[in-house]
Amino acid sequence: MMKKDVRKRIKYSALLALILVIALAGCTPGSSSKGETTADGRELKQFSAFFAVPGKIAPDDNRVLKAIEEKTGVRVTMDWLTGQTAKERIGVLIAGGEYPDFIDGSDGTQQLVAAGALVPLEDYIDKYPNIKNYLGEDWKKMKNTTDGHIYFIPQFGNIQEKSMKVTHDGEAFWIQKAVLEWDNYPTIKTLDQYFDLIERYKAAHPTVDGQPTIGFEIISYDWRYFALENPPLFMAGYPNEGAAIVDKETLTAKNYNTIPEAKAYFKKINEAYHQGLVDNETFTANYDQYISKISTGRVLGMVDQGWQFLDAEASLVKQKLYDKTYVPLSITLSEDVKGRYQNNPILNVNGGLAITKSCEDIEGALQYINDLLDPEIEVLRTWGQEGVDYQVDDKGVFSRNEEQRANSKDPDWVLANTGSPLVYFPHHEGMTADGKNALDPKEQPEEYLATLNDIDKKVLKAYGYTKFTDFLEPAEENEPWFPIYTYNFEPNKPETIARQKMDDVKRKWLPKVIMTSPAEFDKAWEEYQATLKESADIKAYEDALTEEVRRRMELWG
Amino acid sequence: MAKKELQPSLKTSHIPAGTSWIGYNLSRMKSQRQLMWMSFPFIAFIAIFAYGPLWGWLMAFQNYRPGIGFMEQDWVGVDHFRTLFTDPTFLRVIRNTLAMSLISLFLGFVGSIGLALLLNELRMILFKRVVQTVSYLPHFLSWIIVTGIVANVLSTETGIVNVLLTKLGLIDAPINFFAEPKYFWGIVGLSSMWKEIGWGTIIYLAAMASINPSLYEAASIDGAGRFRKMFNVTLPSIKPTIIILLIINVGNVLNAGFEIQYLLGNGLVQDVSETIDIFVLKYGINLGNYSLATAAGIFKSVVSLVLIFIANGIAKSLGEERLI
Repeated sequence: MMKKDVRKRIKYSALLALILVIALAGCTPGSSSKGETTADGRELKQFSAFFAVPGKIAPDDNRVLKAIEEKTGVRVTMDWLTGQTAKERIGVLIAGGEYPDFIDGSDGTQQLVAAGALVPLEDYIDKYPNIKNYLGEDWKKMKNTTDGHIYFIPQFGNIQEKSMKVTHDGEAFWIQKAVLEWDNYPTIKTLDQYFDLIERYKAAHPTVDGQPTIGFEIISYDWRYFALENPPLFMAGYPNEGAAIVDKETLTAKNYNTIPEAKAYFKKINEAYHQGLVDNETFTANYDQYISKISTGRVLGMVDQGWQFLDAEASLVKQKLYDKTYVPLSITLSEDVKGRYQNNPILNVNGGLAITKSCEDIEGALQYINDLLDPEIEVLRTWGQEGVDYQVDDKGVFSRNEEQRANSKDPDWVLANTGSPLVYFPHHEGMTADGKNALDPKEQPEEYLATLNDIDKKVLKAYGYTKFTDFLEPAEENEPWFPIYTYNFEPNKPETIARQKMDDVKRKWLPKVIMTSPAEFDKAWEEYQATLKESADIKAYEDALTEEVRRRMELWG
Repeated sequence: MAKKELQPSLKTSHIPAGTSWIGYNLSRMKSQRQLMWMSFPFIAFIAIFAYGPLWGWLMAFQNYRPGIGFMEQDWVGVDHFRTLFTDPTFLRVIRNTLAMSLISLFLGFVGSIGLALLLNELRMILFKRVVQTVSYLPHFLSWIIVTGIVANVLSTETGIVNVLLTKLGLIDAPINFFAEPKYFWGIVGLSSMWKEIGWGTIIYLAAMASINPSLYEAASIDGAGRFRKMFNVTLPSIKPTIIILLIINVGNVLNAGFEIQYLLGNGLVQDVSETIDIFVLKYGINLGNYSLATAAGIFKSVVSLVLIFIANGIAKSLGEERLI
């Protein structure tokens, strides 16, 4: 009896131990397959990467990623943001103290820097010619403002040779192609002309497909409300600096909510609202409602960033409502003010790809970035594999055939086949290193023409343009401090609190002054201005930005 | 009741003569050691996950910056509390939180109890089950979906509410419900009532199922009709359940409200829509000011604790069941 008991006990303990071993083995880091090799026998290096933006994980057998893996001898497991904000996820990473090898912290970048999670790169870069070349003159802009280190390499806005941009995805006043066609392709420059056109078209076409026509939309849901508040700076002829306008002579930053152009602009919108040209749900609609309204094709125009309503335009194209898609217009208060809606791409020095202190092979990681910037691999990253994804003619010009174009439009195919997930690693934009092709196939002139439909061609021909960016004035040289919105607002500073307070006031008062009756407008505007001055320390805000402008002039100018 | 029989044994007067108080309790602990062991994991759980994190409250007295050692932070005393209570926005969000919570609490109670009473009277079991299922399904939807439905139902163009009101001739033009601060609290209250009514009903129905049928029979003999029985038998019998739930919910008054207000709110109604949690998100977490967020959290906990004690005290003085 006794003996049996003991045996039973041993048996159970052994079983328990086995379970424990299995459970723990599952948790051991580095249990992933090591020791894999590439085709030519080199050991495959493994890195992990996290990008704090939403994205899809590409399958391991992604054809182009595989080809890049063969060339570089590196495999990167990539992870993206799901269902959280960047700051939350980064906060969790910091609390745990364990990081992936590569990281793009997005909105949480400053948190990573403050937590000392990133490796300073300035002493390494000299050894990597492609990276050094890539950073070029922008090197000095990237030093951290507090400690002078360089923690990350920006990925976006680095133009090689020249910009090949064909579509405008920044802010503009948009108008339906059908409206322009109906009015025989007029030239629209001012806010008055813009609303006049909308008014006449709406009167002539009260319904679209049986539903009432909507003249003008301004999305103001949650953080997307910038298009409601920032047009005054365009009205006054300034580029999209975001936080403030900057006087070139005196180098002072000024809050644009109080300038006369702001009042004139909102007065006009107020008028249009009471003429029934502005959707009366525009200040209460959420983002889904906004997108679904545009997708019906009955919204004639809006002021917005182009990338905000991409989904709606895609839906219009899918429904073959080509004439209901939009053209960007450069609108100001009067014809002698030049609109600055386009700006040269800027290297976003506020964030980028960083290497964390958890990375055990910093040199290998940098070597990988260096390899990815190799001209041959850069083409592989955007165009794919020669002969499979594109053809080269005898002059070295790339092109795609119908099937390849169709493939590249199918998101599932793209995810399974091409190297697109690598877009969050540093890369050039504009042209290939030899200056013969656009790096982005969509920007290759012949490819762009092939994607245009008949309506597009008709509209462009009527105005004598070759691409839709021609509707806006060409970009001017960026000012050295541009854009001031990349200023790093630190916690607990008066300017940071002032910015939040200003936001709160604007969110409430801008819809209010627009909806108030035109006779009361002046009074409501006074009240709004008074509230703004009373609740936010505007001076602290302007001073902080002015100081930053001068600092940037000294460092970068 | 069982409670009454247990209570005297806790009193020291029942210690057998000749044993000390400590000795008596030790021997009791020994005789109940299995129970003690069984409760240990739960005490450990509470200690680790509920009391352990409390040391993070110290953050409210610092200018906390992540990545620096906790004790090397810059200590600022009660500065963050002072900022909170001098900020007019914070005082406004307290009002909003309280108002919306109390509205939701009231509608939730009245709605759930009312529905439970009605369901309890039903004789057709199939119909009763269908109603119950349909009414508790929304509980499983997330707020993002519910607010989407609410936004569509109240839309000026296609929303069923505006369409009905216009067709019935009650209003001339559609009402833009989300542009008027005066409607907001009502919308929030009714939305959360719609979402939670069926779920809340379950517990009352369970309580009603345990009422002794002889009470109803006796009432019938005394000539009570359906409504008499409802008021004089059913409601008094589920009173202990109602009071316990009320005490628990009162403690959550300042916690109720982030998602729905955040998702339905907009600039025009922000004066009435913002709650403490939204304030904490905007001025604490988004601005990287974790200390301010912690201070607001402490304030909420303290107020909740006080509210629980008050509710409990009232229940005690009324001679009702209570939590503590």
